Amino acid sequence: LHFIVPMTSLSEEVLLVVKKVRQKKQDGTLYLMAERIAWGPEGKDRFTVSHLYADIRCQKISPDGKAKVQLQLVLHTGESTTFHFANESTALKDREAAKELLQQLLPKFKKKANKELEEKNRMLQEDPVLFQLYKDLVVSQVISAEEFWANRLGGINNTDPSPYNNKQEVGISGAFLADIRPQTDGCNGLRYNLTADIIESIFRTYPAVKQKYSENVPHNLTEKEFWTRFFQSHYFHRDRINTGTQDIFSECAKQDEKGLKTLVTQGVKNPLVDLQSLEDKTLDEGYGICTTQPSTSNANKSVKDSSNSAIIKRFNHHSAMVLAAGSRRGELASDQASETSSTDGNSRDSDFFQPPVKKVKLQEAIEFEDLQRENRPKTVPLNLKKSDRYAHGPVPLQSQQYTTSQDIINSVNYIRHEMASYKPSLTQVLSSTAATSAIAALSPGGVLMQGGAQQAINQMVPTEVQGELKHLYVAAGELLRHFWSCFPVNTLFLEEKVIKMKSNLERFQMTKLHPFKEKIQRQYLSTNLTGHLEEMLQTAYSKFQVWQTRRMMRKT
Amino acid sequence: MKLNIEGLLVYFPYDYIYPEQYSYMLELKRTLDAKGHGVLEMPSGTGKTISLLSLIVAYQRAFPLEVTKLIYCSRTVPEIEKVVEELRKLMEFYTKETGESNNFLALALSSRKNLCIHPEILHANIVVYSYHYLLDPKIADLVSKELAKKSVVVFDEAHNIDNVCIDSMSVNITRRTLDRCQTNVDTLQNTIHKIKETDAAKLREEYRRLVEGLKEANVARETDIYLANPVLPDEILQEAVPGSIRTAEHFVGFMRRFLEYLKSRLRVQHVVQESAPQFLKDIFEKVCIDRKPLRFCAERLQSLLRTLEIADIADFSAVTLISNFATLVSTYSQGFTIIIEPFEDRTPTIANPVLHFSCMDPSIAIKPVFQRFQSVVITSGTLSPLDIYPRILDFRPVTMASFTMTLARTCLCPLIVGRGNDQVALSSKFETREDFAVIRNYGNLLLEMSAIVPDGIVAFFTSYVYMENIVASWYEQGILENIQRNKLIFIETQDAAETSMALEKYQEACENGRGAILLSVARGKVSEGIDFVHHYGRAVIMFGVPYVYTQSRILKARLEYLRDQFQIRENDFLTFDAMRHAAQCVGRAIRGKTDYGLMIFADKRYARADKRGKLPRWIQEHINDGSLNLTVDEAVQLSKHFLRQMAQPFRQEDQLGLSLLTLEQLESEEMLQKITQIAHQT
Repeated sequence: LHFIVPMTSLSEEVLLVVKKVRQKKQDGTLYLMAERIAWGPEGKDRFTVSHLYADIRCQKISPDGKAKVQLQLVLHTGESTTFHFANESTALKDREAAKELLQQLLPKFKKKANKELEEKNRMLQEDPVLFQLYKDLVVSQVISAEEFWANRLGGINNTDPSPYNNKQEVGISGAFLADIRPQTDGCNGLRYNLTADIIESIFRTYPAVKQKYSENVPHNLTEKEFWTRFFQSHYFHRDRINTGTQDIFSECAKQDEKGLKTLVTQGVKNPLVDLQSLEDKTLDEGYGICTTQPSTSNANKSVKDSSNSAIIKRFNHHSAMVLAAGSRRGELASDQASETSSTDGNSRDSDFFQPPVKKVKLQEAIEFEDLQRENRPKTVPLNLKKSDRYAHGPVPLQSQQYTTSQDIINSVNYIRHEMASYKPSLTQVLSSTAATSAIAALSPGGVLMQGGAQQAINQMVPTEVQGELKHLYVAAGELLRHFWSCFPVNTLFLEEKVIKMKSNLERFQMTKLHPFKEKIQRQYLSTNLTGHLEEMLQTAYSKFQVWQTRRMMRKT
Repeated sequence: MKLNIEGLLVYFPYDYIYPEQYSYMLELKRTLDAKGHGVLEMPSGTGKTISLLSLIVAYQRAFPLEVTKLIYCSRTVPEIEKVVEELRKLMEFYTKETGESNNFLALALSSRKNLCIHPEILHANIVVYSYHYLLDPKIADLVSKELAKKSVVVFDEAHNIDNVCIDSMSVNITRRTLDRCQTNVDTLQNTIHKIKETDAAKLREEYRRLVEGLKEANVARETDIYLANPVLPDEILQEAVPGSIRTAEHFVGFMRRFLEYLKSRLRVQHVVQESAPQFLKDIFEKVCIDRKPLRFCAERLQSLLRTLEIADIADFSAVTLISNFATLVSTYSQGFTIIIEPFEDRTPTIANPVLHFSCMDPSIAIKPVFQRFQSVVITSGTLSPLDIYPRILDFRPVTMASFTMTLARTCLCPLIVGRGNDQVALSSKFETREDFAVIRNYGNLLLEMSAIVPDGIVAFFTSYVYMENIVASWYEQGILENIQRNKLIFIETQDAAETSMALEKYQEACENGRGAILLSVARGKVSEGIDFVHHYGRAVIMFGVPYVYTQSRILKARLEYLRDQFQIRENDFLTFDAMRHAAQCVGRAIRGKTDYGLMIFADKRYARADKRGKLPRWIQEHINDGSLNLTVDEAVQLSKHFLRQMAQPFRQEDQLGLSLLTLEQLESEEMLQKITQIAHQT
């Protein structure tokens, strides 16, 4: 099913050419170009294999020491292509070269492709009907994946992406660094296992690292090198004694330090936790007893002491960052709120006006809620006679809104008042004939009351057939939607499309509808279940017919 | 509601009342009636402050001639501000009930920056300020000297009052102090020279005044106008300032000599400890300075500074310090010790000589307060054992009572964890404090608790160094990482600003549901000043028994003094001191009857009667025999059970009639009977 693509045009830059590469037991040459990878059989001037990098999900290589040196490309669609490097002397080297280059190229395209792919994936996961449709139409190859997504993704990009954003933000585990404990690999090395989640946690918690990442990867460092350096850096091992190496993360450490300092100097919002203003500065210098003797000067602090205090600082910082990362989104709003509320407290006369935060905190601190009579609206205490009944959820008959007697009295009064002041507006009533016919239509046996037939089908057809029919309806609807969306056919593209859609419809009828029809016939379900579907298809065909004859006429 | 407390009409600004509040007011009124002093211990979160304010304000209104003023002292600025808020609430209630705006004047001083309030203090009905305004002679002289004798003084949160007293009377002198003092003296000399040329009359006037002596002060003291200054001894009031320091120049010369002597004393190679008389003997032998002029130093300097019209006294803090020292050392032959240390114990290579002039007798600073004011009430959530305070502060109370917390549900759960799951005894005692197994088990305890306790956990260590070591060790062992899976970790540091931030983040993490652990230090600022109400502290873990650092020479001297003077055994005092701090720590979590929390004492020594017996009654009575020597696992099981129970809805109706009363319920015969049992007299 591979497309036959013409040999590389001149505009395309060839980055790497590897000869003696076998594909499907055929010798050939592998080309890595700016946007795609391609392979052509020996002696032919065209490619039989060509994949855009964006379509490639990942590459896999055969383990070292295996007889065949292979490289496999796995596409997003799930298909894969395997290349066998057959040049005996340089096979391994060839493969490495191709692999390295791909390693650098793929991530560039990945982002773009990924985003789309993720989006598609998400849509399929979240919408079971769509997923079924995808299975019915794409997997069974009625239409191609591109056709399927053609006007869906467009819709996605245009419509409000709010359902996506409404997803709950997930915080970061405080222990995410613990999850990347190194394991020794047995030969003097350390292995760190990084997952996408951990990387995201690191980025969200330490924006400075993220910045370094986007600055350096991939132009200066590969992803792997970046993380290797990260784990080797003093930054990661800040509590250890600094080895003094100049690495790219030293700046991060400085930034963190600075951030921490500004946080500290900003002070705290809640005056009740401000330890600095806790005491009414009591003793002057020189007075008092110093029972404990904390030597605060750095000079006489031992190495161990400073390392210990570095650990403590780091934990505080880490926790603060994790906390901030988790609440970053909500923070903005609340920050603004608190700022606006505190501005009016900036009065100079501190005796009479305390900052609202302080006032509120003080009020909270002295409040004895249980000593006060409750001022909340009276609630009715839940008195459960059978608690299991409560646990099983409300029974429809018993579900009723509770109304207090006051409410009821109010309502009665209100209705009474309404009735007293009721004035019929006779100009706007229905004419008596219309009213009578409406009543007749809605009475048993009336025109609008003949819904019995459908129930008969419901009972006559087994549920699995019903389900199948439903799928068919959805699939047919989808195809017809594509078909009808081509009209009016006013561009060349639409012309091509409408022809393709018509053949899609026919294929659908052949591969899906007919087998189903035969099946229900075999089961002696005489009812014409597919009649309506066929009718819809027929309408489409005749429309197509009309359009085609017209076109022919125009052409001739 | 309006209460009848033994015939006194008390306006109480709430709809309901706790039985213990009623009982507390009863005891308080008896204290005021007897015009004596009282020691009252009432659990935190039972509305102690509002009870105090309600009763005393009512008393003032009923007997305006008997009690003219309430002086309410608390420790921290937030505490003071809370008192003011409660007072405001009470006043609003008065206005609402009586329909007239009352003319009560209340005054709060919460910063020493606003010291110029002297006349207002005299007229206020209620003054709220920090302990130091009354106990520190340097401030008391400025602020509180003229407060009326018929005042009621309340020391709230008074469990550390002895240390405040001692601090206010102790002086430390370093080389830097002496250098700055030298500069001060030089400046004084220059100023005197200048004034001599321009305004010699001024100096002559001062000289005349000094010949007259301090008669003025003496008259005041005899006629009972002033609060006595403990630095200013009675005897010198009757005498004139000695001739040797009467002229300004002579005095400056005298100070120079004294300064030189102190410098020579700091040039020591080994630790020196001596009493005040020994010091005086030495100074007389070496530089011929007599005791008498020394005693006048503080007053003489003040007079000189006034005469020279020096505005910024802060610049002269060093010379003031030295002159205060001179007066104190020559006045008190007992109750003080002098220790000169050439270097810090931890860094014997770096010379950093310090002369500690340490007060060992808290009664010296507080004596004038007890003597002057008719009623002094010492109260706190943790004052156990009650009888020790009258002993170390040297006064005779008319009432001493400890109140329990009446509870509709047992909302506190003290557990003593004495063993790890591997049966290793848990203790912070010196011999095992480096023990790997103990540290690991402590870590395990915290880890297990972090998994079952919702929201906030606060853990206290016995000292900062101990905490640092344990944290480092837990880090090495990966325990902290595992804890991080459950909660965020915040740690107190020695930097107040940093710790404040950590605290706020801790609260934020408790608030948003993530949950957090705060590692902190007993005797630190957090343990003394921050409350962890409701979800901010569902469990407090006290790792070890927070004994004071016993190797300190000053402490040793104080212990000796306590033994000799008050017959308090060293161990009794140390245990008392450790237990009051432990009680302070664990008490941080329970701030009311609707609150709940675990109190985990992680040291097997807490199980002993001599330790346990020194906890406040309201904690003690919930420690049963089953929770005395638990393993970590057992503690976890009990905690789970407790937390599950506490998580059930708790409504006002559940409390009513038991731990919360309406006026009618309060007035029932049966309830009044019950209330008499709440106060535990000693």
